[in-house]
Amino acid sequence: MVDAPETGVIAAPRRGRGQSILPVLRRMAAMPLKDPFAFAGLTIYVLFALVALLADQLAPVDPLEILFTKAGKVAANLGPSGEFPLGTTNLGRDIYAQLVHGTRSALAVGLSAAIIVATVGTVVGLVAGYFGGTTDAVLMRIADMALSLPFLPFVIVLTGFLGADTSNIVLAVALLLWPNSARVIRSQVLSLRERAYVEAARVTGASHARILFVHIAPNILPLSFVYAAIAIGWAIITEASVNFLGFGDPTSVSWGMMLQDAFTSQALSRGQYAWFVPPGICIILVVVAGFFISRGYEEVFMPRLRGR
Amino acid sequence: MILEVDGLQIHYGTAGGTVRAVDGASFAVPEGRIVGLVGESGCGKTTAVRAIMGVLAENGRRAGGRVVFKGKPIDETNTRPLLWRDIAYVPQSAMSSLDPVYTVGAQIVEVLTKRGRHGKTAARARAAELFDLVGLSENRLRDYPHQFSGGMRQRAAIAMALALEPSLLLADEPVTALDVIVQRQILDTLRALQQRLKLSMVLVTHDISVVAYLCDEVVVMYAGQVIESGPVREVLGRPRHPYTMGLRNAFPDLMSDALELVPIAGSPPDLADPPPGCRFTPRCPFALAACSTRPAAIGSDRAGAGNAHVSACLRDGEADHLRTFALDPVTWQRSSAYATS
Amino acid sequence: MRLVVERFAHNALALLAVTTILFFMFRLMPGTPLAAFINENLNADQQQAMLEQFGLDRPMWQQYFIYLGNLLQGEMGLSFFQRRPVTTILLEVLPNSIVLTLTSLIVAYIFGVLAGAWLAWRRGSWIERVAVPVVLATRAAPEFWIGMVLLALLSFNAGWFPSGGASSPGLAYDSNWERMLSLDYLHHLALPALTLALYLQGLPLLLMRSNMLEVMHEEFVTMARMKGLSEWRIVIGHAARNALLPVVTAFALGVGLSMGGNVVIETVFSWPGIGRLLVQAVSVHDYPLAQGAFLMIALVLALMNFVADLLYMVLDPRVSHGRRA
Repeated sequence: MVDAPETGVIAAPRRGRGQSILPVLRRMAAMPLKDPFAFAGLTIYVLFALVALLADQLAPVDPLEILFTKAGKVAANLGPSGEFPLGTTNLGRDIYAQLVHGTRSALAVGLSAAIIVATVGTVVGLVAGYFGGTTDAVLMRIADMALSLPFLPFVIVLTGFLGADTSNIVLAVALLLWPNSARVIRSQVLSLRERAYVEAARVTGASHARILFVHIAPNILPLSFVYAAIAIGWAIITEASVNFLGFGDPTSVSWGMMLQDAFTSQALSRGQYAWFVPPGICIILVVVAGFFISRGYEEVFMPRLRGR
Repeated sequence: MILEVDGLQIHYGTAGGTVRAVDGASFAVPEGRIVGLVGESGCGKTTAVRAIMGVLAENGRRAGGRVVFKGKPIDETNTRPLLWRDIAYVPQSAMSSLDPVYTVGAQIVEVLTKRGRHGKTAARARAAELFDLVGLSENRLRDYPHQFSGGMRQRAAIAMALALEPSLLLADEPVTALDVIVQRQILDTLRALQQRLKLSMVLVTHDISVVAYLCDEVVVMYAGQVIESGPVREVLGRPRHPYTMGLRNAFPDLMSDALELVPIAGSPPDLADPPPGCRFTPRCPFALAACSTRPAAIGSDRAGAGNAHVSACLRDGEADHLRTFALDPVTWQRSSAYATS
Repeated sequence: MRLVVERFAHNALALLAVTTILFFMFRLMPGTPLAAFINENLNADQQQAMLEQFGLDRPMWQQYFIYLGNLLQGEMGLSFFQRRPVTTILLEVLPNSIVLTLTSLIVAYIFGVLAGAWLAWRRGSWIERVAVPVVLATRAAPEFWIGMVLLALLSFNAGWFPSGGASSPGLAYDSNWERMLSLDYLHHLALPALTLALYLQGLPLLLMRSNMLEVMHEEFVTMARMKGLSEWRIVIGHAARNALLPVVTAFALGVGLSMGGNVVIETVFSWPGIGRLLVQAVSVHDYPLAQGAFLMIALVLALMNFVADLLYMVLDPRVSHGRRA
């Protein structure tokens, strides 16, 4: 539509000079206010972070402790009540306490995977996109290779054989997820590299490091952030899946462990919905929060899609 | 008059408020003539043409005015039966206007069978005939749009527009994307077909040389309004609105006496918040105080079968005098004394 | 044609890389690959004999090429626990995985494409505002959890579906085909397939919706309007036909991806497929079987990536029909 106003097609995050990081940070901070989805996503993160921090206050009971009723019997398979908001497991453990404490391991897994994915993805993307040539070709072939590994089977084989350690899960997830963010960031860098201000910096003799980190990196920061948000979700789902399949760390309390426990203890046939529905809802909420934030990013930083 | 547009108003709802892309435009197309609709990009010429066909962007709406086709008022509710059978369209970029996943032939056949009364076989024969008419080999019907060159695609688009023998052809910058030699060829094809098929035509363009080459009449638009119109020879030969005078200076082909091209300083006004009076005031070297308060008004007059030369300029009476100044590049370096922005 | 060869080479190389990674991963695992065979009763000589029998006394690079050579012949060794050729075991369960994957993908894509196109057409309506977050939530839910909820509701509570397996005990069939075409098999298939479909429909739905929105703004769609074509013809014949291209490609990719993802679903529903086999093999440290199952999944993934490339070329004339100007 030639005469229609606002036809500005912007593929890269729109920003003037790229001289400082502050405007990007300001726009990122303002993003949740501009987009209701991003706001919802961020709110979910904040709530879960609070629960994780205050877990001991919110649920003073040890999630693995075997509880007894007043009559002195094991408090097994109890329904929700004032004392046990979500009931108890077949071994007499407090489900609510497990749910609350599970938030900690979920966030720990999610955040550590997100940090690794975002860091590796950003650095590889920056280097490959900026230097191009052989460096780019080699890095992208490695990325292709990592992407052609079947995701969950790889994580299972790795954790199954290396041992049921949460850090192995995080490692496996990071190993498979960085290529996605690296690829997108690389293509973003490719377009940024040609911008006038980068050209100007190069002509005035700025070092590679300076151009990369002062002029280019701030522009892709929002993108790294989005991939981190998505990685949080993936890591938590993967950790839950691995736990569910029985390759998790049996001593840690996590949502995946709760689901596996419920599944193998016949909670399904007993209809103990309060046992296995809440952990699933929690996982959905955290993962969806990541989706919402990436959607908010598109709306705010890629206005082409706005209003569609 | 085959088509009359009267006080047309097209509004786009945007985040920055209502944009009046077309704000009270009036013009008429005489039967069997080619009328050039000329102006800078963003002046509302494309929007006006699309509005005639009742096809606007989602956020656009017709807020006022009348469009009369063959004596019958038309709007979005009753245009559809006329489309392609009576009013057809030649797009600026045939590349993006042709569906990439179908062959060009299939797309012409689609129009012939879905909008016309042709059967499949008859449609294929007719498509070949149309290709022949616009100078394309009929075995190219089996090709996909991306396999055509720019000029061929444009020819194919013309063939498609002529499929159902429309009486009015709306061509939106039909040659803009092409190189000069191909432009000539396509314009020649268009003129030949127009004369042979007794077509009436509206040709939207920003290129005054195209108007001079092909059109019988011209309508000059500025910031959503018509500011001057009339027979091509008169309007381009003896322009009466300062904008047309400036526009003429900005194009090489027509200037026999001036040696340098003189762009008009400044840029068109924001259509979400246009200046109150004549919209050219801020850029006009001849503007008076009254220009920034009195809205532009253009009359209409007949001259035989066509339209007479009219201008919306307040100083229309002094046009001959102003024109001599307008030829001097220095005139256009002066910023308006009544610039509001 | 050059493109086809290029894509084939690309995917074949990726597969080779995966195979290589896998080989060294398994060799570098803690413990000897023969741990399951070797017990304390064997003396050093016997152990050595065993190592030689399996070719494990040779240098790593020789082992690698022997392994590749064997793979090319479809030879993946013996399962430690089942004491049967890995290839035989894999081929037994593969049809179950394929049936489950294809059934659920087809259901998911038919639904997703229709619903996505419909939501694009109803853009801006309240139904769209509700549907998009709900669909996002189904994409965010762990597959196995959806399976657990459906299992509890529809199998244990309502009793409409069996709770697991691929056939009822005690039934015997003359052939595998007969078994897979039986009502009993379909009855077992329904719930896992529904679960998987529910999880998978989000991708085609959202993809179709955003493609449609994108395509509806294309000039050729406006052009179709100008031609006075019917709304149906514009939306289906032009917009949807174009919007469908990436979705079809995503379908082929989806076959490869969900073969791997099926691991959890097959476990939830005790579906005797390749994913469940992998899980079992890993949990009992049956290296050859785990390796074989993993390779089979990787092979399907690479194959479907290639098919996706081919489909894209066939469906998009801009790729399949070269320039001709």
